[in-house]
Amino acid sequence: MAEDIDSLPERLTSYLERSLGRRVTVSRFKRYPAGFSWITVGFTLAPGIDGVTELILRLGPRNGLYAPYSAEPQYAAMAALHASLVPVPRVYFWSDDASILGDPFFIAEKLPGEAPIPWGDDDGIRHDQRAFLGVQFADALGDIHAAAWSASGLAKFAAGLTCENVAARELERWESNYRRWALRTYPMIHRVLAWLRANPPVAPRISIVHGDYRLGNFLEVDGLITAILDWELVHLGDPHEDLAWVCLPQYRGGSPLMSKLIGRDELYARHEAKTGRAVDPASMHFYTLFALLKLSLTHIAGVYAFERNGFHDLRLASIGTQIAPTLRQIEKLLEAGR
Amino acid sequence: MNNSFERLIDGMIEALRLEIIPATQGDYSRGQAFGVIFLLQSLKLRAGWSTTFLQEQLAALLDLQAALSKIDGMPRDAPVPLVSGHASTPQAMEQMRDAGDERVGALIDWLQTHRETLAPGVADAVDAATNAYIRRQLRYDIQTSAKPMFAALTLGKETT
Repeated sequence: MAEDIDSLPERLTSYLERSLGRRVTVSRFKRYPAGFSWITVGFTLAPGIDGVTELILRLGPRNGLYAPYSAEPQYAAMAALHASLVPVPRVYFWSDDASILGDPFFIAEKLPGEAPIPWGDDDGIRHDQRAFLGVQFADALGDIHAAAWSASGLAKFAAGLTCENVAARELERWESNYRRWALRTYPMIHRVLAWLRANPPVAPRISIVHGDYRLGNFLEVDGLITAILDWELVHLGDPHEDLAWVCLPQYRGGSPLMSKLIGRDELYARHEAKTGRAVDPASMHFYTLFALLKLSLTHIAGVYAFERNGFHDLRLASIGTQIAPTLRQIEKLLEAGR
Repeated sequence: MNNSFERLIDGMIEALRLEIIPATQGDYSRGQAFGVIFLLQSLKLRAGWSTTFLQEQLAALLDLQAALSKIDGMPRDAPVPLVSGHASTPQAMEQMRDAGDERVGALIDWLQTHRETLAPGVADAVDAATNAYIRRQLRYDIQTSAKPMFAALTLGKETT
């Protein structure tokens, strides 16, 4: 993708003209620096689509963190949620055909707002807005988990999936990622995999799971969440998976609040009110370990993408330093549960 | 650090050439950046990972090997790590560490499927030995890592 960036406006214009059946102009092309994985490019389209002129193109680079990518699950999830209370951008186009723009991609409306970041002392959130943001953050998650998906494009990913096997299936997927990405053996990964294999919980229901729901992956304007973003890890699964991810210490920055936004009890209570299902402590223990495993493997993926895939972003090599601290958290949690 | 020393040096040079130097104003500043490239290339020719770091990791493996050898009733076919403790170069030490960890991983996997067939106390003793090894390995890795800078890496500026 990086080599093709100069030709992207021309190829994008050509694709949009074919798709819309009319002449268009693409301008104010801007690549955003955020993100370790999908490339984000903003542009202006004239004339727009239903009056929308500010658009976002997201591309999944072939050498990216979780490559190879598909845009289809993201498109399907955002389309399924478009009519819900969850604030998601409207997606106009998507394709996994790399011959079009060089990589899988989707094109969505650009929504206003800034993404507060979880690292460092200043996340940019005003003190008087944090509590209300926390409420919206928790409720949007509950709405995602309560959303109907069986009549959407996500249904094709549900073949054979049950409340009984969903934990084992997700575990197999990430274990396979470990075999693909790890350049050396990490004994702690083997230990936690053994524990997780032996203790899979039964899901209360099969839900849309965002996969990376946390501070940093939504936009807000003056204390109002305008968009839930970064759906690249979306899948069907156990809602506890997202709840455990929200609660990871990595996204708290030392705050007692989950994702620096909301207390654990209030998060659970609001989630229960939205979904009608109680949060199960044993499932949370399983999915907290699983979340730490996924985070460790994401760091390992960064090392792999930098070492073997020719991905030159130094941030990937830097996140490799977090493998040991994350594995240490797993070790402590397993010890506490013995 | 989990990437190879050589790849990290190459990655730093690429970042300087592709991202930093084109965005740097002033001949003097760009000259300094090229100086960093030259020095990184020089370091790549003569430096490598610290043998002190790898020695500690191999020492931990040797202690694990000793602890496992003392477990009564340990089956002969268990994939215990086999470390000689003799390696003359950082590369050889790294390979020995990785081979040892591969066996530790295999031992943990093996224990999961053989736990019920082992003599009383054996599984718990293997658990205790491998857990102590993992804890020691992780602690040392953390002790020898720099403080994370994720806010600066994300924002492009240092915060408090």
